[in-house]
Amino acid sequence: MQGFSDGGADLAQLQTNMRNIEVACTSIQMHINPAAAEATILSLSQSPQPYTACRFILENSQVPNARFQAAGAIRDAAIREWSSLSTEERRSLISFCLCFVMQHASSPEGYVLAKVSSVAAQLMKRGWLDFSEAEKEAFFYQVNQAILGAHGIDVQFIGVNFLESLVSEFSPSTSSAMGLPREFHEQCRTSLELNYLKMFYCWARDAALSVTNKIMEPNAVIPEVKVCTAALRLMLQILNWEFRNDTTSMKAGIDVFSAGVRHDNASSKRSECVLVQPGPAWFEVLISSGHVSWLLGLYAALRQKFSREGYWIDCPIAVSARKLIVQLCSLTGTIFPSDNGKMQENHLLQLLSGILQWIDPPDVVSKAIEEGKSESEMLDGCRALLSIATATTPFVFDQLLKAIRPCGTLSLLSTLMCEVVKVLMTNNTDEETWSWEARDILLDTWTILLVPTDGNGGDALLPPEGKHAAANLFSMIVESELKVASASVANDDGDSDYLQASISAMDERLSSYALIARAAIDVTIPLLTRLFSERFARLHQGRGVIDPTETLEELYSLLLITGHVLADEGEGETPLVPTAIQTHFADVVEAEKHPVVVLSGSIIRFAEQSMDPEVRANVFSPRLMEAVIWFLARWSHTYLMPLEETNCLSNDYQQHQSMNSKKALLSFFGEHNQGQVVLDIIVRISVMTLVSYPGEKDLQGLTCHHLLHTLVHRKTICFQLVSLESWRNLANAFTNEKSLFLLSSANQRSLAQTLVLSASGLRNSEAANQYVKGLMAHMTTYLVELSNRSDLKSVAHQPDIIMSVSCLLERLRGAASAAGPRRQRAMYEIGISVMNPVLHLLEVYKDESAVVYLLLKFIVDWVDGQISYLESRETAAVIDFCMRLLQLYSSHNIGKISISLSSTLLSEAKTEKYKDLRALLQLLSSLCSKDLVDFSSDSVEAAGINISQVVFFGLHIVTPLISLELLKYPKLCHDYFSLVSHILEVYPETLAQLNSEAFAHIIGTLDFGLHHQDLEVVNMCLGALKALAAYNYREICAGKTGLVSAGLGNLPEGIFSRFLRSLLQLLLFEDYSPDLVSAAADALLPLILIEQGLYQKLGNELIERQTNPALKSRLANALHSLTSSNHLSSRLDRVNYQRFRKNLNSFLVEVRGFLRTI
Amino acid sequence: MSDEEHHFESKADAGASKTYPQQAGTIRKNGYIVIKNRPCKVVEVSTSKTGKHGHAKCHFVGIDIFTAKKLEDIVPSSHNCDVPHVNRVDYQLIDISEDGFVSLLTDSGDTKDDLRLPTDESLLKQIKDGFAEGKDLVVSVMSAMGEEQICALKDIGPK
Repeated sequence: MQGFSDGGADLAQLQTNMRNIEVACTSIQMHINPAAAEATILSLSQSPQPYTACRFILENSQVPNARFQAAGAIRDAAIREWSSLSTEERRSLISFCLCFVMQHASSPEGYVLAKVSSVAAQLMKRGWLDFSEAEKEAFFYQVNQAILGAHGIDVQFIGVNFLESLVSEFSPSTSSAMGLPREFHEQCRTSLELNYLKMFYCWARDAALSVTNKIMEPNAVIPEVKVCTAALRLMLQILNWEFRNDTTSMKAGIDVFSAGVRHDNASSKRSECVLVQPGPAWFEVLISSGHVSWLLGLYAALRQKFSREGYWIDCPIAVSARKLIVQLCSLTGTIFPSDNGKMQENHLLQLLSGILQWIDPPDVVSKAIEEGKSESEMLDGCRALLSIATATTPFVFDQLLKAIRPCGTLSLLSTLMCEVVKVLMTNNTDEETWSWEARDILLDTWTILLVPTDGNGGDALLPPEGKHAAANLFSMIVESELKVASASVANDDGDSDYLQASISAMDERLSSYALIARAAIDVTIPLLTRLFSERFARLHQGRGVIDPTETLEELYSLLLITGHVLADEGEGETPLVPTAIQTHFADVVEAEKHPVVVLSGSIIRFAEQSMDPEVRANVFSPRLMEAVIWFLARWSHTYLMPLEETNCLSNDYQQHQSMNSKKALLSFFGEHNQGQVVLDIIVRISVMTLVSYPGEKDLQGLTCHHLLHTLVHRKTICFQLVSLESWRNLANAFTNEKSLFLLSSANQRSLAQTLVLSASGLRNSEAANQYVKGLMAHMTTYLVELSNRSDLKSVAHQPDIIMSVSCLLERLRGAASAAGPRRQRAMYEIGISVMNPVLHLLEVYKDESAVVYLLLKFIVDWVDGQISYLESRETAAVIDFCMRLLQLYSSHNIGKISISLSSTLLSEAKTEKYKDLRALLQLLSSLCSKDLVDFSSDSVEAAGINISQVVFFGLHIVTPLISLELLKYPKLCHDYFSLVSHILEVYPETLAQLNSEAFAHIIGTLDFGLHHQDLEVVNMCLGALKALAAYNYREICAGKTGLVSAGLGNLPEGIFSRFLRSLLQLLLFEDYSPDLVSAAADALLPLILIEQGLYQKLGNELIERQTNPALKSRLANALHSLTSSNHLSSRLDRVNYQRFRKNLNSFLVEVRGFLRTI
Repeated sequence: MSDEEHHFESKADAGASKTYPQQAGTIRKNGYIVIKNRPCKVVEVSTSKTGKHGHAKCHFVGIDIFTAKKLEDIVPSSHNCDVPHVNRVDYQLIDISEDGFVSLLTDSGDTKDDLRLPTDESLLKQIKDGFAEGKDLVVSVMSAMGEEQICALKDIGPK
């Protein structure tokens, strides 16, 4: 396909080429032999120097698609061949593209122009760092002339369009790949931001200004609108730029923003609304030149002009103008002078007064939308409020509107949202409506305003009027949620993945509600108490008479809301009592009358009623019980025997009122007060849900994973738990009662774990070990007895036996995962006592995959929990056991062919196998960790154990089971390669001891991993390869034979030469992420050093294959400097690795472009 | 075989029951269950509620272990389901007769001659080829609710 190249192109040839491409383009469109057509088009961009052919097509073809493809071909070829083009050629390509779009500005095929324009932009970027300032000036002069409108409207539009593509090319998130390192893109970005961006903005503004008057004239549609829209879009795009240079300069100006305006990074991270911080240089353009008032004026005038045309709100020009206005609301940072935020306040006020008519008065606006007006203006108004809230503090936010209205912005926000909630309430559908979107945006706004920015709580900043607004809004929200809840009973869709899903989906919304509630906590807590007591009373009165379902659903909602208001989610940490609750209610003296105590107390008393079987049957449906358990878990995490209680009591000298009420609240549920009683109630309720709700997995899951887990993770609570009668009852039921054997497997595990963890409440480790032994003794006895039964083989497969065995193994696994230092002894002995039974059972259940998996997982968790504590003798025993386990498993599975008629069952079987192997790999990793973390008194070497050999032996057993097919499971693949790369990095010498089959297998998988599409897997393989090659090179340097001689010489070709080939192949000819280059360099260097002869040969072959003499010499030079520049030496140290990385990077930039096209 | 014969066989089988009752909530994926009187392997379990404030129920998808047909069932999760007693025994393959029956060696040294070759083609081919090459083959025979079938093969002999 050399036909497209420039060499010797006469007119006839060019015309033939054009016709070929045209035919190909048409046939693709008509689906005639698309593969061949695609190949033709591809050959155009793949052939060397296709520029003349492309230009000819662009200028002469009548088929727009052909022109489009030709432009694309110019781009592909020029990016590829860039380094070999002369400066003159580069420049002429760009100016050809630019001239082309200008000349054809009025062409109807906009997409061709956009493509050519973007090609020009990409080429400009490719040469950005090489072009001199004067050269760039020349291009931009041409563009500027166009934008000024010197050549008419169409050209003006094209000019703006070109800048749009240019800016998007330079912005890292939208740039196209050029096969260059990240630094290149970074440098271009910085250069454009510092030197050009503002200028472009001014050009766009001027272009818009130049047509403003025409647009505002009463005539209907005119072409100038197109230019104005494009200019507005470009301005928006520029303001969307991630300005970086401002942050560096900000370090110098420390006290730039004091009160009023927040500019901390935390606040910008928190919201989805991105702050615009272009820095002081932009002051003139954006602030002082009346830019904002012009824009607002433009929008208002257009709004006026088209007030009768409903469609206009969604016109491109209106949309772009509004977006730009919203974007300007997020303007902040050093662009404003340091005047206590005055300037920014003025700026925001100006914008707000323009935006006001989009959203105010709220009831009129919402009515108009319900009657069919487009909602987009109102939504943009909400977004603007969000942006303003992001850029200011709540106080400044509220004050803004007070300058022009009697009430503050918070009141407006509250009324607006109330209106939205009302609309939501009346048309309650599952479809996403405008009111959904508006509610979400406005909730975000509240969240931004109310989330405390520091530890002191943001609520203190809310003015009284704002609190009132928040209180109103909250009661409106609760009303609407309750209405939605009771209405939802009617539309019974029966199945959905209830509580978990609905809670996590609602969680975000609920926590925003909670923020609003906490802003007016003294009103909202009594409100919630009242709502609860109304519903309790309704249930009580209507018992047996009225269907309670609606009330139940309302209570369900209320419990979720109240849980969020009263307490935060711990996210692994112990949450404190929310600041708003701590600091308010200063006038409360008696703890029993503290509103939070009253509310919590009423809910707990209600929950306690579930203990009565009759009430339970009537009222406490599984779903309501789920909410109760969820609430109790969340509540007790914060309020039950809080840690602060003790701190609080010691601070007696801080005697003022708010401290008093806080103390009262904290100590009320403390261990010396009502804490024990409440804890006892909670434990009894938990046991009841486990026993009296048979088969309710979700409810029991919440109890086990959520509530009980929360309890045992707090030491203060554990101390109380172990002395509670009800807790002992739970432990007894766990060991003896049939009903607890019916829990689902995950719940079994979790319950065992919880009970073992509660042993940390015992005073010493002896007692704790005794406790654990007592808890688990019956299970080990059962397993030992079962495995010793002479008729084991025949009874083992009875379903009831399988169920008991699975159940006990789950429990053992749960207990094993809870083994901490204090309980480790007991768990060790338990594990040792079931070792032989485990092997017996593995033998008997070899075809019962579910049981096999449980056995393996138990051992994995047990070894993981034990290994670092074990003394060397014990380690030897455990390792011996693990090896027996591995061998047994392997003997069952190797060479086995399972066949099933059903493909589902077959793939199930594969998945099971994958899970087993993954467990085995985890086991090996745990054993590996003994070398890194070891708490025992003597070292393992003392007992003659070599961990590396053990692990290799294990790998030896496991690897034959891991087929390349199985490595397609991402997790298994990941685990396998991380284990292999770890082993090779830490113990490369042991690899030599593997037999050749296992060795070849590991090498084969490495080769497989190198071509994996997961970046991390390739990285790990390269790491392994580096370790292996470096080890070998060092061995050779030290005069030893290295890996090759150790019985591995029988491979057809040395492994290193094989890897050298495949790595070079990968680097030069295949697709990969640029992030891999460094890791590849680290692996390549030792490979080259080992196989110097082969490397020379491969290099020569590459050069020979090159026909073009210019490219030939380039390649030769590049290859030469790869190994010689930067003072590269033949040592494998840090410095040398770094040098080689640099060399490889520049080598690839230099040659990859033309090598890949051959 | 007719149903009556099934009953007769199970009585002769030292009183071992064919199925066991087990609470639906405790039956897990990869376990066994009887659906429409067929022994199935459970490939999917999901729970849902009957009405918003009702009780949980389990939805099972099972695959008949002998015919590979897909079967489904919905059971309140506190109720009992039948779980089949599925047994697997390994036998060494002694002979393949011309009428499609195999001859297997039991642990006690007797032979078991009442099993047909499997219908699955690839397994059938592996057994026939392996046997023809003189390899030592072990076959796994799965039995449940009075049915038996060869389900897996393992080569233990020299290559």
